[in-house]
This record gives sequence, structure tokens and C-alpha cells, in this order.
Amino acid sequence: MVTEKDKQKRRLAKFIEERDSYEAMAKAFGQSPSGTDKLYAPLTEAYVGQHNDVIRAAEEGLPFVASYYGCQPEIYVAMDLPWYTFLTPVFTNAMNPNMGDEIDATESLFGKDLCTAFRVAGYWVEKDLAPLPTVVIAMLHPCDASLMAHQLMQTNEIWGKIPMFGCDPPYWDDERSLDYYAKETKQMISFLEEHTGRKLDMDRLREVIKESNKMYELWMEYNELRRAVPCPHGFGVGLQAFGVALNILVGDPRGTQWFTDLVDDAEQLVREGKGKVDNERVRMFWFDVVSLGLSLDLFPWLEQEYGAVNVMDMFGYCPYTLIDTSSEKTMLKGLAKRALCDAPMMRQARGVADNWIGDIRQVVKDYKINCVVWPGHMGHKDGSANVGMMRETCRELGVPFLHIGMDNFDERYTTTAEIKEMFSRFFASMGLV
Amino acid sequence: METKVKSKALQQFQEATETLVNPELKKWMEQGGKVMALFCSCGPEEIITAAGMVPFRARAAGSTGTELADAHFASIICSFTRHCFNMGLRGDYDFIDGAVWLNTCDHARRIYDNWKRKVDTPFVRIMSLPKKTGEPQVEWYRDEMAILKEALEEHFGVEITDERLWQAIKTHNETRRLLRQLYELRKQDNPPVTGAEALAVVVASTAMPRERFNQMLKELLEDLKGAEGIKDYRARLMIVGGILDDPGYIKVIEEQGGLVVTDSLCFGTRIFWNDVDEKAGDPLQALAQYYIADRYSCPRMFQDYPRRAGLVRDMIRDFKVDGIIGERLIFCDLWTIEHYQLGKEFKPEGIPYIQLDREYVLGGIGQLRTRVQAFLETIGR
Repeated sequence: MVTEKDKQKRRLAKFIEERDSYEAMAKAFGQSPSGTDKLYAPLTEAYVGQHNDVIRAAEEGLPFVASYYGCQPEIYVAMDLPWYTFLTPVFTNAMNPNMGDEIDATESLFGKDLCTAFRVAGYWVEKDLAPLPTVVIAMLHPCDASLMAHQLMQTNEIWGKIPMFGCDPPYWDDERSLDYYAKETKQMISFLEEHTGRKLDMDRLREVIKESNKMYELWMEYNELRRAVPCPHGFGVGLQAFGVALNILVGDPRGTQWFTDLVDDAEQLVREGKGKVDNERVRMFWFDVVSLGLSLDLFPWLEQEYGAVNVMDMFGYCPYTLIDTSSEKTMLKGLAKRALCDAPMMRQARGVADNWIGDIRQVVKDYKINCVVWPGHMGHKDGSANVGMMRETCRELGVPFLHIGMDNFDERYTTTAEIKEMFSRFFASMGLV
Repeated sequence: METKVKSKALQQFQEATETLVNPELKKWMEQGGKVMALFCSCGPEEIITAAGMVPFRARAAGSTGTELADAHFASIICSFTRHCFNMGLRGDYDFIDGAVWLNTCDHARRIYDNWKRKVDTPFVRIMSLPKKTGEPQVEWYRDEMAILKEALEEHFGVEITDERLWQAIKTHNETRRLLRQLYELRKQDNPPVTGAEALAVVVASTAMPRERFNQMLKELLEDLKGAEGIKDYRARLMIVGGILDDPGYIKVIEEQGGLVVTDSLCFGTRIFWNDVDEKAGDPLQALAQYYIADRYSCPRMFQDYPRRAGLVRDMIRDFKVDGIIGERLIFCDLWTIEHYQLGKEFKPEGIPYIQLDREYVLGGIGQLRTRVQAFLETIGR
């Protein structure tokens, strides 16, 4: 007979497996810290810590939350609620060679054209393979898949019993929209208090936001340094910054320290005139999430083979406004703005395409970009309907534009070899190398 | 399979589904009438009517290709989006005076962004449609409608008074009541109309001056009185899905012996199964309440699945449904999950449920026939 304890063990198994692999990574990074690599160790350690908090809460029957970076995680932190993103293991598993089998298994449930991340995460929910939280804070934007993945949870026999709340996202960025979303946020706080038994102390929230403001200030400073030619860092650092500020060390002084070290490292490199590569020829804007599946092969290859550096990406781009902490009202409105208009992907994909196109114009100009890449993840339908607009904008800016068409989580959709071939032809035909 | 009734009105409705500009709409435009396209059934058509225009539900009837639109979209964008935008680029939509979108889904909401850059339509707007159905969302949508109303007044130099809004609400409610009367007839053991014919009627309701449509539908209902019903069917089917506006698709299903007796579609019961409250104090409030909270939603409305499934359950009972066909446009994430959920709910109760993926323009007829035949066999008919 399967006991409740067995079920819980099964639900935590993948999570523990992931924790263990990151623990091994943290250890390896810690043993040989050199150059920019030394930034990996505290990040992976913190990631392990976040996992441990959730595992402990699940095992000890303490409240914890399943949610997203775009759902004001500062509030969970201020309420001392461990939280995890049920999509994150799909992202991190993109490097796992066995991921293909798991993806194939989802087909009989959800077909093939739903975003693979949500397909796999939904499959885990249906098969009871994910940590069962106390509450779910759903993200109803920026895409249909996100909205539907949460509705799927609600009809699941087990997850359907978990209380769920989602703030309704307006399509606009104006004051009326921010006020509306702030009211939704207030409702979310009441919901969390009711279902977790924790109270939100506004002074603690202020502390968390102040700390996160420090991080965002440093992040902005860091991005200024990435404007340098040659660019001091390559692919993946933006994603790490995003991971620290919005996921792993939200409002945590350790995150601020991480950003301080990041800025110091970049500053030193810029001062010395050192770039990620010796001969930087192509300055790319990778306008989507950087696929971890490609990080071990494609990006190093681009750097080494063509001197093509990922100077900026969607998740590293940080146009954050700092939050006014003078009152509850200003904090909630600030969090609303951060969630809707600043957080990567929410900022670009939620509303009208003007936001999307505006970022391309800004980043190309600010970062001296000479090549814009739209990877075109198969789940990003709204962005994929912007292809014509992106191409025309790049034409106006005089910057070559490459549209790949890939799956961030499934190498078989478009193989790395095929992507490399595309880049080689593209660079040659555009005269970039 | 088709009705034996000879009805001029029905014939006109059927013709109206085949093109964008049907004779009634043409007549309206020749008299100087204006037309406003709406790209989602959650668009408040009553406000357009109150502005003195015809609300025209955007479709891509008659489209044969997407060659112009393809340059603007990646291959994972749905064919409804492609065909509509292609028609916009070709100039097929030059007859409209304006168009209103909502942030309906990831595909359709981007038609707006592309359209406003590439198609010369004098008035284009997108409305922010909430994803929840609570009171704050009703309030939000009321404000969105007020903004639209003001923009229409300013652009077209019209005054949309409360009185005109109430009149429009009455006219549209009458359409809803008449369509429900038509569907009542489909509950019979031998319904007088096929599913393809009923779909044509609903589509026509969104494509011509509303008062004229109501008059024609009354004529059809009169023609159907005492009409001989359809007996030669193998099973009674329900169609569930999104933007199905092609009676030809249902005709293929019915040719296999599956009589479609009801639906939950954007061109179906969801747009007329209940009315706007005519006794509310404020017309915009009444409309917001209807579009956000009262009307049966599509999957994009969060936490409203139980009500949607409830509608399907009621339909199964009231229309004596033997099996459900869930149609889905390829690449539609909303309906991927919704069909999975509905199938999971109804199959164990002994209600056969099949999901059929399709492109917007009817194709792959042989495959569709085979799948429907196999489905009817699993039903045991």
C-alpha cells in the first residue's frame, strides 16, 4: 500500500535529485574559483539552499509556495515562505540528456505544440511528480500556456485541492493598470495570509524591497559595463543576474554581495580592456531566454569560432525602476510595476508589441549590437507573431536579424548542429565575419 | 445530410458564411452605413450598434492562402491569424471603417500589432480583457468599454447615449433569444436543421445589420414550424472549441452520419446562451457584467473551468448528446489543455470525446472523414 509518506517522497524525488546535482556543482565551483567563474559558486550554493528550504518545509509540514518570479516573490520572502517555481526544473533539466524521454511521454496528454516547459511541468503535475505546495500563486501572463498550466492544476485530483490565486494582468502599463494590479496584489497577500497562517509585516517587506532595490541598482551598473567594447562577459551572466535578483536570492543581502562581486569583476575587465573573447567581432542581442541546453556547446562555439559575444539577452536586460518604500501603497504599486513592466518576458510579451520592438531599438543602440537573434522558442507564440515587426525594425536600424525557430528544452526540434549551420551561413552572408 | 425545409432566409444565411461582404451588409454600406470589425466574441458589439455601425465578427471567409501574412509570422502561429491578416494585407478588409481587438490569445492579439502597422484601417483599437471573472474585473472592463465608447464618439462624431445603448442591448438580446429558439428545435429527436445549417445562422448573425438579421431569423423559425425532422443519423454529437465558422467542416462530420445537435463555440452557444440584464442601472455596467461574469467563457478565463464544463454537461443532458468532438486549431495552447481536461472529465462518465486538430481553412477532408467514422464506431453507431 502506498502511504502518504511514499507519495511525498516521490513528489520530492526530482527536486532532491536536482538539489544534489547543484550541490555537486557548487562544490566544484568552490574548489577552483577563478575569474568570472567564481561567481557561480555562491549562486549554485544559494540555489541548493532554496531547494533545501522547500524540501524541509514539505517534510516538516510547513507552508511553502509554488509560484514565479513575475508574481512579486518579495512578498513570499517577507512572509518567510519558502517558494519554488515549478517550471525551473524543466529549465535546468534542459542540459539532461534523458530529457527527451520525458518530453515524449507528455505527447499522449498534451500533443506536441504546447510549450515544452509547460508540457513537462504539467505532466509532472498529472503524474504527481512535483512537490505539493501549501498554496499556488499562479501567473496568468505573459502567455496562454502559463494561464492554462494553472487551470490544468485546478482539475487535477491532487493539485486541485491546493488553494490557488492569480493576479489578473492588465494589458497596459499606465497608472490605472498599476493601481489595478496593486489591488490584485493586496488580495494576493490576504489569500497568502489566510492559507499559510503567516502574516505580512510591512516593515519586513520594506526591508526586502530595499535590499532588492540595491541589487537592481547594481544590476543597472553592471549592464552599463556590458556596453563596453569588447564586452567583459559573455552569455549566461544575464540569466544568472535574473536568477539571483528575481528567483534565488530575492531581497537577500547575499544577492547584493553577488551583484557587488559581479560589478567588481566586470569593472576590472573593462578597465583592463579585456573582453570575453580576444577578437570580438559580433555583438549579439539574444532576444529570448538563454537556453541552458545550448550553454555548453553553442555559445562557447560562437565565441571561439566567430568572436560572437552575447552582449545582451532578454533576461539580462534590466530597465528596472526602483521601488519607493515610503508607504504600503507605494510598495504595492512598485511591486506591481516590477511584475508587469520590468520583469523579463512579462515586460515584452504581456502587452502590445510596442514594448517588444522598443526594447530592440533601445538595446541595439545602447549596447552597440550588430546582430539581433530571435531564437523563436516553439512555446513563444506571441513573440513569434512579431517576427515581421522585428525584421523590419532591425532593417531600419541597419542590424542583421536572425530567426532560428527552436525548442529551448528539446534539442531534437532544431539540433545544435543545425543552429550552428544557420549561424555560419548568416554571419557569412551578412558580412559579419 | 440536410434539412428538407425550403427557406429563403436559411439560404441567405448560408451564403453569408461564404464571403466577407454578404448582400445584406453590402446593402447597408451602399446606404452609407459603417462597419466595425471585432476580432473576438468578447468585444462589446452593443456599443458598436449603439454607435450606428454594424458590428462585424472578423473571419477569413473565402481565404485561399496566407502568402502575404507568412512573412510576418513564424510557422507556429495559428492559421486563423494568418488568414485574417492575409486578407487585411490583400485589401479584402478595406470595406471596414474600423477594427477592435482584445488580448484574446497569444496569436489573435498580435494581429492588432501587425495590422496597425500594415493595414490602412481608419480606426484600430485593442481592449484589455481581464482573465478572471470577479467584481474587480467587471469594473475594469466597464472602464475599458467607456474608453472605447469615448474613442468611437470622438473618431466618428457620434453620441452614444445610454438610451441608444439600451436599445442596442435589446436588439442583441433579441438575437440571443431567437438563436436559443432555433437551438430548442435541435433538442428534438428529429431536429429540423443540421449542425452545419445552425452554424451558418450563428455566423450570419455576426455579419449583417442586426435588426435585419433578427427579422430574417424570425422568418426561418416560421419556415421551420412543422418541418420534417432529420431521421437518418447515426449519433447526436456536440462540437466544443474555439473559432469554428465554417459550416463545411460540420458538413463533413454530418456526412458520416454524426448529426451535430449543439455546441460550445465562439460562433455558438457561448455568445447567446444568456442575456445582458436589461434592468440594470447602467448599460455599460450591464454589458461588463455580461461579457466578464455572466456569459459562458472560453478557456482564457481563469478559474472558470467548472462553469464551462457545466455548460457541456447541461448540453449533453438537454440535447441527448452521444459524443463530443473537440475541435482545435493547431498551435492553440488554450484549447490543448481545455480539451485534455474535458476529455478527462467526460470519458470516465461514458461520454466519448475526441479531439480533432484542424487548420482554419477546411482541408484534409479524407482524414477528417476517417477519424469521424472511427469515432462513430467507438460510440457504437
